[in-house]
Amino acid sequence: MYEEPYRWVEAVGNRRIYLDEQFRQGSPVVALGYEGGILLTTASKGTPKLYEIYDRLALGGMGHPADLEKLRFSLLEMAHTEGFNRSPSDVTGSRLVKYGIAPVIKQAFEEVYKAPFIVRMLLAELGQKPEKDTLLTINYDGTFDERRDFAVLAATKQAQTRMQDYLKAQAVSPCSLEQGLLLALCAWAVGSLAHQQDSVEASADSGPERNRDAAAPIPDQAALLAHLREVLVDRTLECAVLERQQAGSSKYRALKPAELARLLPADFQALVTG
Amino acid sequence: MGMQGDFFQLLKEQGYQFGQPAVAGAGVDLPSATTILAFKYRDGVLVAGDRRATAGNMVMYDRTDKVLEIDRHSVMAIAGVPATAYEMVRILEHSFKYYRRTQLQELSFEGKLRAVSKLLKENVAAALAGTGAVVPVFAGYDFEQGAAKIFFYDILGAEFEGVEYAVSGSGSPTIRGILHYVNTWGERPLAALTEEEATVQALRLLTSAAEFDSATGGVNREASLYPVVKFITQEGLRTVPDSTLKQLFETKVSRHV
Repeated sequence: MYEEPYRWVEAVGNRRIYLDEQFRQGSPVVALGYEGGILLTTASKGTPKLYEIYDRLALGGMGHPADLEKLRFSLLEMAHTEGFNRSPSDVTGSRLVKYGIAPVIKQAFEEVYKAPFIVRMLLAELGQKPEKDTLLTINYDGTFDERRDFAVLAATKQAQTRMQDYLKAQAVSPCSLEQGLLLALCAWAVGSLAHQQDSVEASADSGPERNRDAAAPIPDQAALLAHLREVLVDRTLECAVLERQQAGSSKYRALKPAELARLLPADFQALVTG
Repeated sequence: MGMQGDFFQLLKEQGYQFGQPAVAGAGVDLPSATTILAFKYRDGVLVAGDRRATAGNMVMYDRTDKVLEIDRHSVMAIAGVPATAYEMVRILEHSFKYYRRTQLQELSFEGKLRAVSKLLKENVAAALAGTGAVVPVFAGYDFEQGAAKIFFYDILGAEFEGVEYAVSGSGSPTIRGILHYVNTWGERPLAALTEEEATVQALRLLTSAAEFDSATGGVNREASLYPVVKFITQEGLRTVPDSTLKQLFETKVSRHV
């Protein structure tokens, strides 16, 4: 029945609704540049969501763990064979996304008889110079977006916009790792609160015509951190950096609980080390 | 199956060939125009190598780096055919990284040793044909045992632990005897040496090797050419800077040369 063009468009449209629904429980991901490189953060439940892909590439993801694993392996395979056969400097995020996984994700999304990938991904690339840093986000339909300063993944369009607006308004550059981490975590909390808000609205049957731009103002930093502390009771704070000054070829480093405790406000100590 | 984190397997699936002899067996050639050494000192392992590359009796290059870093905690010092050795190091470097990144944990030290051994076994045909023999010394930090360790190999891939020290290359017979003597009847065994004392020993040993082996390059002070000396400790790898080597050479080594 999907042979008819209209049916196919309808089926793809249904997929969007189905897929959008799949991210509701997911944790937002934030990546932003700081003076020493790029930092990525999220608060995960169970499986980790931040990964090292190559010497200067890090991945953050949302969605189904099995789909994320599959695409992560594709990225790893492509990056390592390319880096071995040519050179590590030929392995770029842009090539991996544009010619590597984006077409695969798009194809899976549009083949309506097969299962799509339930993923949103963020690929961060540390450039040789700070102005060459790249943050790529890829959606479940294979569309991608490239940014320089910061990038986010969120469950809904509204949450994403709110996080981006927050980052745009609060960003200071250059910022230290400590400042950057605090900013990223506040942005994460903005996204997480927006997720909650969206779920409430969806279940309250508020109707699609409701004006979503009239959303509540963003809480202050103290309220955002309070929300984060609440959430971290049953989630793990994950934070990783691509550090320009890191010795050796691999620039990726996951921040350990002890280091997180040092960087975060005092009332987070027990939450990150416990 | 791509889920096992085996990069070498992945390469082979893509049609990559390693260790194919270029020409049919011409017999075993002693492939070891160099001197590399590793010994345990107080804080870990020291690995050093001269910098000369030769072809027959011609000096090809005097700035070769034969002590190659594979990751933050392991090095492979190479004696043998450079083309094969460098390729092996590239494969190993990518293999260890690929394993860590896919499996989300570091490859064990034993796993790393096996990887070296496996590559040498794949390379036997080329080694016996005389076009690709490599006799490496592999050293790294074993986090399970909490100690830095040294292993040396033959061209067929057999692995042996150098409990106190290991040497390879054409200059090695000279210094093997010295190492045994110093370690047994010296003031203190090698394992008790400080970092600076260990560096001095390494410079003296390589200078002795260069004295008796034309294929080993010693220190060339006019050109500021010093051997490569690296330390492996729990904290990772460190290379001794040329300025330190120069200062130690001038005060502790050159007076008798």
